[in-house]
Amino acid sequence: MGYSTKIMDYPKSIWIVIHREADITRSIFESQRMAQSLGFDHGRAQMIATAVSELARNIIKYAQKGKIIITPLNERRRSGIEIICQDTGPGIPNVDQAMEDYFSSSGTLGLGLPGVKRMMDEFEITSIVNQGTKVIIRKWL
Amino acid sequence: MMSNFYTSDAGDMRNAATLQTLYKISEEDIQYIRGLGEFMLPQMDHMVHTWYEWLMTQPEYEQFFADSRALHHAQKMQHIYWEQFIEAQLDDNYVESRRKIGETHARIGLSMTIFFAGMSIFHDLFSKIMAQRNLKLKEQVRTIDAVSKLLHLDTGIVCEVYTIMSNETITAQSRSLMEMSTPVTQIWENILLLPVVGIVDSKRAQDIMNAVLSAINRTQSRIFILDISGVAVVDTAVANHLIKITKATRLMGCESTISGISPAIAQTMIELGIDVGTIKTTANMMDALNDSFRSLNLQIHKVER
Repeated sequence: MGYSTKIMDYPKSIWIVIHREADITRSIFESQRMAQSLGFDHGRAQMIATAVSELARNIIKYAQKGKIIITPLNERRRSGIEIICQDTGPGIPNVDQAMEDYFSSSGTLGLGLPGVKRMMDEFEITSIVNQGTKVIIRKWL
Repeated sequence: MMSNFYTSDAGDMRNAATLQTLYKISEEDIQYIRGLGEFMLPQMDHMVHTWYEWLMTQPEYEQFFADSRALHHAQKMQHIYWEQFIEAQLDDNYVESRRKIGETHARIGLSMTIFFAGMSIFHDLFSKIMAQRNLKLKEQVRTIDAVSKLLHLDTGIVCEVYTIMSNETITAQSRSLMEMSTPVTQIWENILLLPVVGIVDSKRAQDIMNAVLSAINRTQSRIFILDISGVAVVDTAVANHLIKITKATRLMGCESTISGISPAIAQTMIELGIDVGTIKTTANMMDALNDSFRSLNLQIHKVER
């Protein structure tokens, strides 16, 4: 894709390669654990983990393989958590459509993306057909 | 027997030729290593012996090599290992033999530290023996370089398989934990209960489905309480699984209640737009049980004594 994700850019990040269901489990636990260690309460940590779970499942479902990078954010006046979900799958031809409720190209409920967006404070998506999709989500304390 | 240990795509499974290129082992390197043969092979007993003298000082020795047969076997394997090393026939059999070592270490729980230290000690022995020969310095350095490269290649393969095996073990453990934890229990006549803890993936959802449906069949229960207060996350996939389970029980004449919807889960489900339709949900298991008693026309009374 048009951006590079170098390991050195994320010194405190946890990287998880996603290519089977067990990796979803790991991304759920790791994001929940990091969120709680940053000071998110149990409910908000669970919400973050749910968002990560949703995105990780999308990787398996549509791209088979990808990665998730969970990063603690520490700015001068605020802190939070950032999760990057990146795959090299088929990409989403129409991102706007994918962001609508009840749209799914795989015949399932397809509520994932808009739901994730609602649960998080920030949501960015970049997708290039035949190259992949990158979703960045953030939640602030 | 070997084939299934590391067929997993969880690790690096490059073949011999690719690994050789990756570690920049040239034909010249291989010639240098093979050149060691006539000199090194007669000293092999001494080298393996030196290594075991070192190992005897380690706590692992008692644990793994106290049995003389095990020790003998390990020493024999060590001989074969270093003979292969000096033959430097870098084909897929070579790689396979190294994977086998990683597999063995992981299986018996012999740490990577011991393996790395052992490799380092052998490297040291190689250097010392080399120094005894009257070689030109350049040739000596080139040989040691070549040996280092191949040692690194070996170590890389062993470590990779060790990691894969450890990960497999963890996955298998969590899998077996999950399988153990679908205890559908008849808590009252006509009432089944299943508390779900942890992660619900598709395999587990299927396990739950099977366990519940067969319990309904066995006990003729009318009510099934599925408590999800211990579930880590309820995303759309998990919700879909839960909805399917309740639909299936309903087809068998057993109404499901999903209990343990915490404030966080309720909010998450709303944000995700999950519609549970006509499925009955409660905040906790007690409410679900009370409702069940009511619909079965049962009452719990305190007995005056």
